[in-house]
Amino acid sequence: MNKEMACHGCDLLVDVGGLKDGESASCPRCGHFLTKYRSDSYSRVLAYTMAGLILLFMANSYSFLSFSSSGLESVITLRQTPGAVWEYGMPEVAIMVAAFIIVIPTVVLVLLLALCLPLERGIYRPWLAPIAKAIFMSQNWAMVEVFIIGVIVSLVKIAAMATVVLGISFWAYAGFSICFTLAVATLDRYQCWERIEELGAAQA
Amino acid sequence: MTAETAETAASRNLATCHICCKLASAELHHCPRCGSAMHLRKSDSIQRTLALLFTACLLYIPANLYPIMITEQLGKAEGSTILGGVVLLIHHGSIPIALVIFLFSVMVPIGKLMSMFYLVWTVERHSKLSPRQRTVMYQVTEFVGKWSMVDVFVVAILVALVHLGGLLEIKPGIAALSFAGVVIVTMIAAESFDARLIWDNMEEENSDDTTS
Repeated sequence: MNKEMACHGCDLLVDVGGLKDGESASCPRCGHFLTKYRSDSYSRVLAYTMAGLILLFMANSYSFLSFSSSGLESVITLRQTPGAVWEYGMPEVAIMVAAFIIVIPTVVLVLLLALCLPLERGIYRPWLAPIAKAIFMSQNWAMVEVFIIGVIVSLVKIAAMATVVLGISFWAYAGFSICFTLAVATLDRYQCWERIEELGAAQA
Repeated sequence: MTAETAETAASRNLATCHICCKLASAELHHCPRCGSAMHLRKSDSIQRTLALLFTACLLYIPANLYPIMITEQLGKAEGSTILGGVVLLIHHGSIPIALVIFLFSVMVPIGKLMSMFYLVWTVERHSKLSPRQRTVMYQVTEFVGKWSMVDVFVVAILVALVHLGGLLEIKPGIAALSFAGVVIVTMIAAESFDARLIWDNMEEENSDDTTS
């Protein structure tokens, strides 16, 4: 069986066949990361994904931030963040923000669940390839960790003006961003596709 | 452990799929495993990257000239630009946050544009200048791309959070849209650049050596 892969950084052909559990390979010429083999990678991804989905549900159920000054208070939920920008006449920015912080991360997590459940149990399903393709195409456009930094910066910016309280939803979202990042980083592109192909060949 | 074969996929006329890493004959137009479009090298990589980079440069002008955020306090509206916001933060004494904003909203976009122009320029000149360092430069550019969105998210959060009747209100400025445009366009530019072109120039040199 051919276990060669071409480096995405410089196109060098590298044999990545003999990786042991936990070993990773990088390109000997340009140093680009190639792949990492872990026998339990799908259970790990599943654990992060499920934790992430629970936290995401919590992040959507409680208040995100509250802001009070001179006896007036305003409380927002996660969804209101892009909503307010829409109301002020910038639907393009609102759509981008909603896509980067909520829609794409949620879709990626749900797809990860649908991909890794069969992979972990070694069952072939015809939707594995399209799902994996959707995940690898959209994962660069999730910006959960950037949003967390954005929240912290906003807090410092308005801390002088008023009292700001972080809601449960914020902490849930922070946890979600960690789980999301770990889930996406643990799923190895090369190993995942090899596994799908293997399972497909065994089925045929 | 990995063994080096010292041979590129292109030299064996193999194309690699961007989505699933599958190696297949360069004559195929679609990946046999995942069905994505497949090329030996990304098509028109340099032209596309340059076009997107110029678009980003144009968008970057209104992003800096117009206010990104308008604060209305007791009926008095005051706009602040990206750089104005940094200066204001320094006046308020929040130096670390001013640095974060300056890094993500000023240095990262400008640095990204400069490094992408430099990479395109060296590839066009068939430069042999340390390809490994240029690969690292490309990887860093690709990685920091989305972090510039911080400022747009800050505007979205403040706009949603700060509206206390007529007392205090924050509205998004037109620069938020153009700045988000800069970030997205440069991200697509980095994605359409093919890092393997950096190494193709080295291949040419090697093959010249062997033939002469």
